[in-house]
Amino acid sequence: MLDSFFHDACCRCGFGVVAVVCLVMSSTSAHADDADGLRFFREKIEPVLKAQCYSCHSRQAEELKGSLRLDFKAGVLRGGDSGPAVVAGKSDESLLIQAIRHEGGMAMPPKKERKLSDKTIADFVKWVEMGAPDPRDREPTEAEDSKFDEARRHWAFQPLRRRADGRQPSDDLRGSKDVRGLTPAGSPEIIREADKRTLIRRVTFDLIGLPPTPEEVEAFVGDESPEAYEKVVDRLLGSRHFGEKAAQQWLDVVRFAETEGYEYDRHIPDAWRYRDYVIDSFNKDKPFDRFLTEQLAGDEIEPENRECLTASIFHRLGPVRRNAGNTDIALSRNEVLTERTDILGAAILGLTVGCARCHNHKLEPITQKDYYRLQAYLAATEEHNLVLASADERQMWEAETKKVKDEIARVQKLIKDATTAAEKDRLAQQIEDLEDKLPAPLPTIPSTHNDFAKRTAIHVLKRGVWENKGEPVQPRPLSVLVADDLPELSPGETQPRMQLAKWLTSPNHPLTARVIVNRVWQQHFGTGLVKTANDFGLKGEKPSDPELLDWLAASLIENGWRLKPLHRLMVLSANYRSGEGRVGSGEKNTADGRLSSDSPLPTPHSQLQRRLSAEEIRDSMLAVSGRLNPKAGGPSVIVPVDPDLVGLLYKPSQWAITSDVSEHDRRSIYLIAKRNLRLPFFENLDAPALQTSCARRESSTHPPQALELLNGTLANDLAQAFAKRLERDCGSDREKIIDRAFRLALGRAPTANELQRSSEFLREQPLGEFALALFNLNEFLYVR
Amino acid sequence: MFDDTRRRLGTLARPDDRLTIEDGHECPSYVHARATRTRREFVREACCGFGGLALASLLHEEQLRAAITNPLAAKHPHVEAKAKSIVFLFMAGGPSHVETYDPKPLLNKLNGQRRPKEFGEAKYQFVHTDARLLGTKRTFRKYGESGIEVSDLFPHTATCIDDIAVLRSCYGDSVVHSAAQYELFSGRVVPGFPSMGSWLLYGLGAESRSLPSYVVMPDPKGALEAGQPMYAHGFLPAVYQPTMFRPGDHPVLNLDLPKHVTPQQRRRTLEFLRSLNESSLDPADEEFHARINAYDVAFRMQTEAPEVFDLSREPQETLDLYGIGSEPTNDYGRRCLFARKLVENGVRFVCVVSGGGPGNMQWDAHGDIEENHLRKAAETDKPVAALLKDLKRRGLLDTTLVLWGGEFGRSPDAQSPTGGRDHHNLGFSMWMAGGGIRGGQAVGATDAIGLKAVEKPYHFRDIHTTILHQLGLDQHQLTYPHLGRDERLTFLEGQVIREIV
Repeated sequence: MLDSFFHDACCRCGFGVVAVVCLVMSSTSAHADDADGLRFFREKIEPVLKAQCYSCHSRQAEELKGSLRLDFKAGVLRGGDSGPAVVAGKSDESLLIQAIRHEGGMAMPPKKERKLSDKTIADFVKWVEMGAPDPRDREPTEAEDSKFDEARRHWAFQPLRRRADGRQPSDDLRGSKDVRGLTPAGSPEIIREADKRTLIRRVTFDLIGLPPTPEEVEAFVGDESPEAYEKVVDRLLGSRHFGEKAAQQWLDVVRFAETEGYEYDRHIPDAWRYRDYVIDSFNKDKPFDRFLTEQLAGDEIEPENRECLTASIFHRLGPVRRNAGNTDIALSRNEVLTERTDILGAAILGLTVGCARCHNHKLEPITQKDYYRLQAYLAATEEHNLVLASADERQMWEAETKKVKDEIARVQKLIKDATTAAEKDRLAQQIEDLEDKLPAPLPTIPSTHNDFAKRTAIHVLKRGVWENKGEPVQPRPLSVLVADDLPELSPGETQPRMQLAKWLTSPNHPLTARVIVNRVWQQHFGTGLVKTANDFGLKGEKPSDPELLDWLAASLIENGWRLKPLHRLMVLSANYRSGEGRVGSGEKNTADGRLSSDSPLPTPHSQLQRRLSAEEIRDSMLAVSGRLNPKAGGPSVIVPVDPDLVGLLYKPSQWAITSDVSEHDRRSIYLIAKRNLRLPFFENLDAPALQTSCARRESSTHPPQALELLNGTLANDLAQAFAKRLERDCGSDREKIIDRAFRLALGRAPTANELQRSSEFLREQPLGEFALALFNLNEFLYVR
Repeated sequence: MFDDTRRRLGTLARPDDRLTIEDGHECPSYVHARATRTRREFVREACCGFGGLALASLLHEEQLRAAITNPLAAKHPHVEAKAKSIVFLFMAGGPSHVETYDPKPLLNKLNGQRRPKEFGEAKYQFVHTDARLLGTKRTFRKYGESGIEVSDLFPHTATCIDDIAVLRSCYGDSVVHSAAQYELFSGRVVPGFPSMGSWLLYGLGAESRSLPSYVVMPDPKGALEAGQPMYAHGFLPAVYQPTMFRPGDHPVLNLDLPKHVTPQQRRRTLEFLRSLNESSLDPADEEFHARINAYDVAFRMQTEAPEVFDLSREPQETLDLYGIGSEPTNDYGRRCLFARKLVENGVRFVCVVSGGGPGNMQWDAHGDIEENHLRKAAETDKPVAALLKDLKRRGLLDTTLVLWGGEFGRSPDAQSPTGGRDHHNLGFSMWMAGGGIRGGQAVGATDAIGLKAVEKPYHFRDIHTTILHQLGLDQHQLTYPHLGRDERLTFLEGQVIREIV
């Protein structure tokens, strides 16, 4: 029963329902020679076994039924719990025949409506009478599984196709138009280039997430040298803000949050260090293979290096359920390992490995065993909060903590003795107040380390339930991507995660480079070459331009895994600079079939224009109003929010508003990412839920967004600031004010019509309302 | 007139409605239009969707456009629907079934004894293996023509029992609050998946153009364990998010103008904004049209919604019915009356939460089941009954499905010497009324001490499936692609509870 649930309900992959293979009686004689017998088996018997029996009686079976294997000769003859399935030459004594006839108390396939046809049964009888010829001498390996074999040929599992002529990517870009999709700038086929104001606004938002200043726009417009655009691009790539923009996408993908979610939503001490690490890494253009290795195994490769330890916060980013009362330690550990394993698939491999936790993946060539082998790399990984304080500081902190904790313990005793509920509630409240008095945690890196003594023994877990332990496994990469005879990693391996990183970042790995290159493409063209950025598997979308994807991936590796040249290459291309908007890999994408065929939502035409993200809109309003505090890095900022929302937190005191108000005007990436309280502004504008990996932002349009931008505190507050700035810059000269406002907000002067309408409006209405209207303009919220 | 027009517009969004456009290609009418489509094409196609160009003259072009570019436009269900709206009376913390709707005389007989082995094992959060069974002090009585037994905690609700289908055999997968709450709302024990309210909005769109369509009214006393993510839209677009009502007369955030602005001023600002937007408008650009439309609706919400939130115009009789103005029913009564007014105005899903803050402020009676449940029942019983009666007399109960229950029940075993009960997910009661549900019956059963659902056990996924079914939605068709899978509300396939539909 559960089987069918999983087939039909859980994944709906369709493999569970296989049509009965229609068979026609052949004229082969019962005394056929070997070759005929084997052919009879291949044509008549094997297809039926595969279609009807393997799901319970083969290596592929999620749960082998009756210990019977029908996927190799010895298995058939040996039989299962009830004895041999086939007695060669004697169909009447063969249990298999009884079973398919639904006789003798047996019925296979078990459901009445799936009983084999009389013709098929006759074939089986004939086959047994022939002596049950069967070429399958050996127990099949995973790789010989036919489904598996076929899946192995999937495009994303093939090695990158490198250029045979040895040309460098830069040659291609500057020289001939050799690569489909990415047209080098200045080539004869060039489509009309966007006007300069559009272009600088586009590239500035895409590379640093902020609008260009009027001065930057004018400088670019006035620069008539052929390298003018290139200069802008290089300035932006060198800007400190570059990392702040690029990091957001990676943080979305690894579902970065600074709290653990679930009821307590505990704050992970100094989790912001990971955010700074990602920003710095992108700014420094750290090679991507190194970037991944540090996150996966930073504590293994350089246990004394703070940067590496900070990177390993990666493993701490998932939601963690901390439970009151009887905790089931093994269950909790299993939940933690699950979170940490699944994200490897989505973020790095671009595969939905998580589906294989409970059963062999129905859609991808990933077995349950593969899943647990992947998990086994993390078996010894434990939380390790590294406190960054001197012995003295630590001592003082511990003393202070002890004082409060002792007091808490005292009140807890009182609770036990309390007789009335009211008394208990009062004391519980007292404990909460005391907890708030605990000293702030010392500077910490919430890192990980290996604790081999505590290593979790990893087993294949039937249905993913931790109590149902099956076969024990050791670390090994996904079977579909490695040679069959690759052994598991030895349990004595002291750097298991380093081994995982080595495999993932090997130049021959078919997925890692493709996946990241595609994410960068998505950042600049709105939609990836593979639209399903977290899913490169069989179920994912095929690349719209596989050659281009491979070429980009190969050049990334050849260039030492550096991402900045890749960004540069993309934004310098003619496609990106087109006057028709960013022309991704062609018109193939514009119909955007996937989402619209499934949902009634209008899909964003990302190539023509994109709506700014929630963070970009807030940052732009700050920048335009002159309020942006450009400070980089450091502890996350908590800004004021509707008190009723704070009241919805389990522990409202967690929302401790940052006392220095100038901090409230910092870029959005520095605001706290708290799972149980997201700012309504962000929520309304499609910022992710922080619970699971977000491969691509939605871009929805709805009334609460309009209400947020019209009536929300942030929009109105910043509109006032914008108005003040305009008065400061231009005095009371109305025309000057309007001109300046348009240039700040939109990077252009107002048209005569706009100037006239604005003047009319300002004759009667306050400047703050004018500023607010500009913040709500389509042209402000979208970038073409 | 407007309402009528809108409903007809809703027919545009029927997924199986195919129309042929000029070049002979078929496209489902709800699919987002090509970027190159012109305004005129738009209108023509839209009109073809429900019967020809003639109608175009009857309808305002902008309204047509709104139906297409607005993802909240009302959509046809998969099959004919019995209900249009849901009110979920969420008894957070887990009300005891053996104190409310599931009388267990044997439990009283076995009071103070160890649980007999034949009833089997149960995993608890706090209860120890050597715990003793705890009988109830509540008395049960048969009500209505159906004669279903209800405890003395709910004398008012009991008078509506003939409209109520009690489900005595509910169960879930988790015995801790957060995970159970996530499962109750989203079908998964982990956060990050869309709640049933978001799914319904995604599947059916909104009926109301001036009110948010998925509303949660939390208990002002505080938060719940699973926090806001429990109600949230998960990976669905933000348009399907819940609107969290705040206590007081201004429940919707951002619906009020900032203090320094007058409505006249703001109207001028909006006109100015519109004129600027339109002067640079590419006629082919539907997303911009959608955005302009969103501002129109937002403005309407601002002017129309406050009327709905104004309870002062309700007759005294209604206020008294809900227990508004007297304690301890005032708060929950007000929120239940809001719920009625919301569904009356076409809101799709309303969740009225009872319980918030520290455990004992919820139905989470670990310490003293008597004290806790007498208090919580007194707060909610009258308002709940009032809601049912009020909906019924206004003819709204036929199309409004009311669901009552918590994330689990409570243990037959005692947790503390003062008579508390632990969480209990293996068997507990919920109920449904209205929206095509056949009331006056009790379905399923727990064993003789209320430990496990033994007869016709129904999981949360079955509750979800039944709700979808009553709203005309099919659990397999209502999907959304996320991380490589077509996700849906029922992770595992659920069944419609046939006995009650």
